[in-house]
Amino acid sequence: MDIRLRMRKKIVLTTLFSSCFLLSSNAIAQDMLAVVEIDAKKAELGKRLFFDTRLSGDAAISCASCHEPNNGFASSTALSPGYPGNGHFRNAPSLINTIYKKSWFHDGRIGTNLNDVTRSMITEDYSMNMDMRLMQERLKQDPIYVKMFKDAGYGEPSNGGVRKAIPEFLKTLTSKNAPIDTNQLSASAKRGEKLFKGKGSCAQCHTGPLFSDGKAHNTGVAENFDIFLKPSNHQAFIAFNMFMGNENYMALKRDVGAHVQTHKADGTDIGKFMTPSLRELKYTAPYMHNGMIKTLPEVVAFYNAGGGQDKNRSVLLKKLKLSAQEQKDLVSYLQGLSGDALVSDTYIWNKEDYSYQVINNWLDVKN
Amino acid sequence: MQLQPLKQKFISINKLCALVTFTLTALALPLPASAQEVPPLAPLGEVPIPADNPMSEAKTELGKILFFDGRLGGDGSTSCGSCHIPTLGWDWPDNVSLGYPGTIHWRNSQTIINSAYYGKLFWAGSAKSLEGQAKSAAKGGIAGNGEDDIMEARLALIPDYRKRFNDVFGDNWPKVSNAWKAIAAYERTLVQRDTPIDKYLAGDKSALTDSQVAGKELFEGKAGCVQCHNGALASDQKHYNIGVPPLKRWEEDAMAQITFRYELYAKGSTEEMYRNTKGDPGIYFRSKLPQQKGMFRTPSIRYTKHTAPYMHNGSIKTLADVVDFYNRGGIAKDGRSSAFIKTKSDLIKPLNLSVTEKKHLLAFIESFSGDKITEEIPALPEYAPLFSIEELKEAKK
Repeated sequence: MDIRLRMRKKIVLTTLFSSCFLLSSNAIAQDMLAVVEIDAKKAELGKRLFFDTRLSGDAAISCASCHEPNNGFASSTALSPGYPGNGHFRNAPSLINTIYKKSWFHDGRIGTNLNDVTRSMITEDYSMNMDMRLMQERLKQDPIYVKMFKDAGYGEPSNGGVRKAIPEFLKTLTSKNAPIDTNQLSASAKRGEKLFKGKGSCAQCHTGPLFSDGKAHNTGVAENFDIFLKPSNHQAFIAFNMFMGNENYMALKRDVGAHVQTHKADGTDIGKFMTPSLRELKYTAPYMHNGMIKTLPEVVAFYNAGGGQDKNRSVLLKKLKLSAQEQKDLVSYLQGLSGDALVSDTYIWNKEDYSYQVINNWLDVKN
Repeated sequence: MQLQPLKQKFISINKLCALVTFTLTALALPLPASAQEVPPLAPLGEVPIPADNPMSEAKTELGKILFFDGRLGGDGSTSCGSCHIPTLGWDWPDNVSLGYPGTIHWRNSQTIINSAYYGKLFWAGSAKSLEGQAKSAAKGGIAGNGEDDIMEARLALIPDYRKRFNDVFGDNWPKVSNAWKAIAAYERTLVQRDTPIDKYLAGDKSALTDSQVAGKELFEGKAGCVQCHNGALASDQKHYNIGVPPLKRWEEDAMAQITFRYELYAKGSTEEMYRNTKGDPGIYFRSKLPQQKGMFRTPSIRYTKHTAPYMHNGSIKTLADVVDFYNRGGIAKDGRSSAFIKTKSDLIKPLNLSVTEKKHLLAFIESFSGDKITEEIPALPEYAPLFSIEELKEAKK
């Protein structure tokens, strides 16, 4: 809550700053990402937690197992691995700039804060399947955490502390030195920018500093049949839909997407997904909620054709009639929205220091 | 809490008396043996079958397969049979049970054999039926760690299960609640009723050796075992603190320490209790009555020849050690006893058994076990996609 308040203040400040800037240049205010304050100790703790497999039920996977740092903190497989024993039914989105979002998941089903998102990811059976009470006791058995939680001001290791520390780490995952932000777009990218806002009509939905309107649209992305043809993925899909209250979940043959927000009786909201940010796309292939498109040129070709086939497809999508060169320029622009790769120790916990230690004077100390 | 109904205006005197009697009975500690009529040892009768879960061959066969299927759990790795291994006494041969990957359990895995006769399952009697036990074990964070929705989704994607659940329960899609019923039905087939003690009590006086007969006298007399280990099951299913000390492993094993604290936390403790408790409070978690801390439900003596180690935390390795433990008055080899010494049962006193008497007693205890019961682990049915590509292509037009 207070993170968001602080962010809102910052955004106001940034907007003001940009407005002044606008007088002397052509920079566009909403293209600037707000600067956020980061508590270094809390973020460092969050980083160690993010890469710790003991945050999952059987201690086999961490947040980073699906949000791969070498893939822009997104999943490199079309469908994320999910929890052992099952697969997942969507492609884990990038966590870079996720702190700027106002709702999360491809279907936008959580619109509160990253604390709730963290809780959901750790506890859902198809993602990390962790009983957070057990997680808390695991962390208390690791002296490094005992110290880090204390130093971060969270007291002893706790579920609440985890749900605060991980979002604090996520604040560090923001675009760094993207050509769009440093005003270093190539000539081709600049041509692409014009197409993006004009003939390509991309900016109808991909607006603002995140290049997302934060709304759900149906673009007709083809269904990923692996969700249904692989029982490991299908079981996660069924469990999720059962949990979300989608009727007739056994017969579902498509991902209903943001229908879980609106549950429209006529089903016209089926197949809508939240407009993703276009930042850091260079690293986050494959694309779309289900990883069905492998490369950026293919994404541009997809939109050039007016999107995919779907009876609920958005009316905003039309054939674009972009030339081959125009499509290339558009891809150049999209690449210009990606900054430095976040793959250094600043963003990855590379120390192999995860362990449990016996409490030797067990009978004499308080639990 | 129990006084609340007294405030109601129209409560009848009869009801009031019944309530007071009930309350007093519930709170009363077990009476000393001398004042107590205990049911005599008896041959084990027919397995009780609950009215809402009748037996059938198709059901027990389904239950057998499910018992060994790890997909009824969190990550597909841990089935009932993982901690209840047929060749190892249908339990786990370590002090505390194997537990879910990434954890260990905090209590000893109990044998499945004759579990059908209990009205209280688990060491603290937290389940009232085998159906309830199977469900709790499959879902518990340090046991199966499974969730209903994904377990049910898995069953739905296994064609053989779809057919079997339909045949047995009429389910269109397998219901996970029926999986527990099938498993419970299977467990009701895992009984042993032809042990030497069963034969002896049925009239075959040659079924016990002279030593065992001498042991029986001690069991029912000087050693006082029958005060709690009575009736056909050799368990009164009541709760006692017999003085079993906390497991040493809790002082030496980091994973065990994690689980210990988790259980205190998850089962509901005050902060004061969570911080300071170093022994398993047992049945306390059911009643939240301080005078029940450290009490556990009396286990059956049947099949114990095959189920070492013993006690709720598996801290006693052999049956001979168990006899020694009781002979010392509920005190372990190293002199330790219960962490909740105030609730230790008055029934547990030094027995002054001679070496020979202990031998007889041990021999008699072994008469409660027949041969090992084994099981061929069934082949598990495989997943298959629910839809064809053609059906999927039709879905979005």
